[in-house]
This record gives sequence, structure tokens and C-alpha cells, in this order.
Amino acid sequence: MSFAASTIPACSFLVAALAIAVPAEAQTATSTFSANLGGIAKLSLSSNTLSFPDADPDTVPLVPAAGGAITITAKARASLAATVTLTVLAADDLRSGVDTIPASALTWMASGAGFVNGTVSRATPQVVASWTGSGIRTGTQTYRFQNSWSYRTGTYSVSLLYTLVSP
Amino acid sequence: MTRATLLRSLLLAAAWLALLAPAATAQPGPRLDISITPVTTTFPLSDPDTVPTVAAAPVQITYRIRQNDGPWTLTVLANGDLLAGPSTVDISKVTWVATPAPPFQNGVLSKTVAQRLASGTGNVNPARQGQVTFRLTNAWDYTAGLYTQTIVFTLTAP
Repeated sequence: MSFAASTIPACSFLVAALAIAVPAEAQTATSTFSANLGGIAKLSLSSNTLSFPDADPDTVPLVPAAGGAITITAKARASLAATVTLTVLAADDLRSGVDTIPASALTWMASGAGFVNGTVSRATPQVVASWTGSGIRTGTQTYRFQNSWSYRTGTYSVSLLYTLVSP
Repeated sequence: MTRATLLRSLLLAAAWLALLAPAATAQPGPRLDISITPVTTTFPLSDPDTVPTVAAAPVQITYRIRQNDGPWTLTVLANGDLLAGPSTVDISKVTWVATPAPPFQNGVLSKTVAQRLASGTGNVNPARQGQVTFRLTNAWDYTAGLYTQTIVFTLTAP
């Protein structure tokens, strides 16, 4: 076995290189982020009142609301794959003093993804729309009143309660 | 070369190493210290319409740099996106505002590339402090959940 005469200087260079190449200094600190993006829901209607003008039951059996369609904007942050539901419930029948007209005389036609047609009830919340997951959805409801000669004259009113549920 | 010559060569190399080692100890590299308070940053639940950007309580960073004659850098890197089970919010939705500037600067969090939070040259001694306020872009389309993630602050020199 033989070695080159430069063995010692080569070792010296190696040692010197190790001494010069001081590794970069670094210090670290860690922080934990926690973001509460809980379920929230927000509902807005383009109008808070509906009115149905007087009309001849023979010529206008279904009286459209004077203001036209109501635009509904439903915003919801829901759990993964959860169903977001918008319902409407009448507080009572339509009432004018002691006279009443069933709340079911009010029906609606809907437009927009997830929105469905329906009939108002004072007993059971009726589904206006439903979707899957989080997001902002917009649709319309066009209410109509079932006209009839059998109603007593008067100005009838009722409150409708909309509920948006985001599980 | 004989075995004895080889042995002498190795001993000489070892002697070189022994001579150089004390020199390295006498000229140590930069001494760095960093701490943050609080260690948990919380973004509260907020209505995206009224609070489009959710700010967390400010984070105070205390840092000290000694025995340094070169540049130094403080970076921040997320270990991933914000996670809540299978749901994620991209970590780039988190930005920060930092003071004082300089040496601190504003930025956007990343999970792939460490982002510069502050930089300078030489020593910082005694320790100084900076304040970082992290902000989360709020949105209705996030899946509901309690999201968490760890971020790492790294102070380096030279």
C-alpha cells in the first residue's frame, strides 16, 4: 500500500474547512392558531310587507301580491355536508277582527336554486328552500292569495315567520 | 509509505484539529433568542358581513441577537392550512400587520415558503419587541368548525 506525499496537507485542509463552515444559527418559536368558524346564519328579505289588492274572484281567482316577488338572500355557514333549511310559518290565520281566512289561502311560486313552491300553514313550518353546505343563496317568492266570494269584507292581516337553520 | 508514516500523518492531523478546536470555541457563532406571547392566537366567531377580516389579539415577539456581524432574518411558516377534521381553510387567508417597520413588515402566511417577518443587520441587544396582528379573511363559504394550525417563527443568522 502506498500513499501520496500530500496526505498530511489534505487532512489539514479538511480540518480547516470543518472549522470555517460554522452552521447557520437559528432559533424557533411556535404558535398555535385557533379559528372559531362556527355555524351562523343570516336572512334578508327585499320587503317586510305584502299586500293583496281587492279583486273580482271571477276574473282574478288568484290575486298576486302588489309588490311583486320578494327576493330572499340566505347566508349560512354550515357543517360539512349539512342541510341548510329555510321555512315559513304563519302566526295565525288571516284575520280581520273576528273574521278569518285560512292561512292556506296564501301560496307562493319560487325561483332560484334550492327554492320550492308551497302553501302557507299556521301549524307546520313549510320549506321555502334547502341547500347543502355553506354559502350565500338568493331566490324569489311570488305570493298569491286565493280569492273567494265567501270571504267577509274587511282588511285581513297575518304575520309570516321565516326561519333559516344552519346546523 | 509505511504504517508508521501513516500513523504519524494521522497524529499530525489530529493535532491540527486539536489546535483549531479551541479557536472555534473562542469565536462562537451568533447567539439568538426569540419568544412569543401569547403562544395561542385565537380568531373569534364573527359575521362575515360586518367583520370581513377577523383580527386576533396582537402577538408580542421578543428577540435578541448577539455576537452577530452579518444579516439576520425572522421568518414565519405555517405547518399547513387551517384544519377542522376534513375541512380546510387555505392558510393564505391569514395575513399579518407588524410593527415597528422596519425591521418588521406585513405579509401573508404560507405553508410552503417561509415568509419574512423582520430582518436587519448586526446585533440587537438588549432584546427588542415587535407586535404582530394576524388577520383572517372571513367568508360565508367556509365550512363551520373549530380550525387549528401551528406556525413556526424562525430567527436566523448569519
